[in-house]
Amino acid sequence: MTSSTPSPKSVRTKRATDGLTRGLHQLGRQTQFYARTLQSLGDALVRYRGETIRLIAQMGLGSGALALIGGATVVIGFLTFAGGTVIAIQGYSSLSGIGVQAFAGFVSAFVNVRLVAPLVAAIGLAATIGAGATAQLGAMRISEEIDALEVMGIRSIAYLTSTRLVAGVFVVVPLFCVAVVMAVVGTRLSVTVTYGQSTGVYDHYFNTFLNPLDLIWSFLQAVFMAIVIMLIHTYYGFTASGGPVGVGEAVGRATRTSLIVSSFVTVAVSLAVYGQNGNFNLSG
Amino acid sequence: MVTTDTVKEPLRAVGGFYAMCLDTLIAIPRRPFAWRELIAQTWFVARVSLVPTLMLVVPFTVLTVFIINILLTEIGAADFSGSGAALGIVTQTGPVVTVLVVAGAAATAMCADLGARTIREELDALRVMGIDPIQAFVVPRVIAATIVALLLNGCVTIFGLTGGFLFSVFFQHVTPGAYVSGLTLLVGLPEVATATAKSALFGMAAALIACYKGISVGGGPQGVGNAVNETVVFSFMALFLINVIATGVGVEVAK
Repeated sequence: MTSSTPSPKSVRTKRATDGLTRGLHQLGRQTQFYARTLQSLGDALVRYRGETIRLIAQMGLGSGALALIGGATVVIGFLTFAGGTVIAIQGYSSLSGIGVQAFAGFVSAFVNVRLVAPLVAAIGLAATIGAGATAQLGAMRISEEIDALEVMGIRSIAYLTSTRLVAGVFVVVPLFCVAVVMAVVGTRLSVTVTYGQSTGVYDHYFNTFLNPLDLIWSFLQAVFMAIVIMLIHTYYGFTASGGPVGVGEAVGRATRTSLIVSSFVTVAVSLAVYGQNGNFNLSG
Repeated sequence: MVTTDTVKEPLRAVGGFYAMCLDTLIAIPRRPFAWRELIAQTWFVARVSLVPTLMLVVPFTVLTVFIINILLTEIGAADFSGSGAALGIVTQTGPVVTVLVVAGAAATAMCADLGARTIREELDALRVMGIDPIQAFVVPRVIAATIVALLLNGCVTIFGLTGGFLFSVFFQHVTPGAYVSGLTLLVGLPEVATATAKSALFGMAAALIACYKGISVGGGPQGVGNAVNETVVFSFMALFLINVIATGVGVEVAK
């Protein structure tokens, strides 16, 4: 016999507060996870060095079908090259609208370094090594490999997520170099080859306005974004549930969360670092 | 042996993808058209995409407007910040943000769903029953993503321009009237039309890639995870490529 229960009072209020509590719970769990990942960084570097090195190699060159096209390096290089090309096309046509197309080199030095390279590199990182980590960890969670690790006495967070975080930070250094170079080369090729601007004019304005300090800042920005992206992606992979669909959905959720968070990071860093001034004097 | 495999494998994937695109194209006018699935998918794509889109518009707009305004202030033309914002948002940020979300949120979910059905052999079961999975699943998904990308582009543009207005006027002290009157200086109908076409193309490409990766998945949960990962990577690459071409064409058309 099942006894019927009376419907609870104030259902809507309860539903609303339930949603809020669940959100807070999730936020708390995420924070706890991130804290434990960061805490176990030492373990990853000292005890699981072999695994870290293996992950660095895997992330740089990619696994599965991505390895066939050259892994994260080629993907990010391609994305930033395309981003630089778009800047050239849009920038050149807008500049020649007011007759100052000579400044194309300046636009490249300014916009590529500050905006295109970090943002597009973040997109590329999230899509390649981030989503890859979520897929791997999610599959491990679904097939109960993570539980097996814990049973064997291996610290799963240190072994799986902290090592990935360390590897991500190591990998982003060369990747971001590729990103900046490809963005700049993309713009230069389109402006000088497609639009036929003389390379001397382009290089003069590019070299004059390329600010090394900006480059260093955008580099630090990229490292910071790599940390954020790896944390988010490993969290979603580590907590995946619900069979193969669950893994796929976790990858999707992780990608869009990390895109949003990393663009907010870009904004925060840009506003904090660059402020209202451009660190250049165009009008003399 | 290894070298022929590494050459053949991507080629085969590209060929399979083209074949599926052609199949989809042929299946679009064929009856019965999966109306119910189309409506369900459109609602689904819109639901998963709307909030992330609006969340992503804010930082992208602020960044674009911020950087353009620094430039304009430097050459003493801060009053044209509306023109700069409109140019940046309508031609680039709008379509790109739309696509990042459609690829990151909707395409991944589609791929996961189709991939799971593939490894559970549901698609084979459909084929046995004489139902074409392309017609039943792929066509409605591709059309849904195209429609939603088109509509989202409008939302993104409106939100972006409003956000740009707030940021320029309240943080960077641009005159509100000058911002508004500058909006239409560089951006007119051709630019808007190009951006709209671009976002529709993006949505279609992302959905096609997601469906291809979904129905050609193999190898358990790890396989589905990898397929979704590849969906994200390939759709972003396709989108950036399309963006370059579409921007080039758009600039020429607008002249």
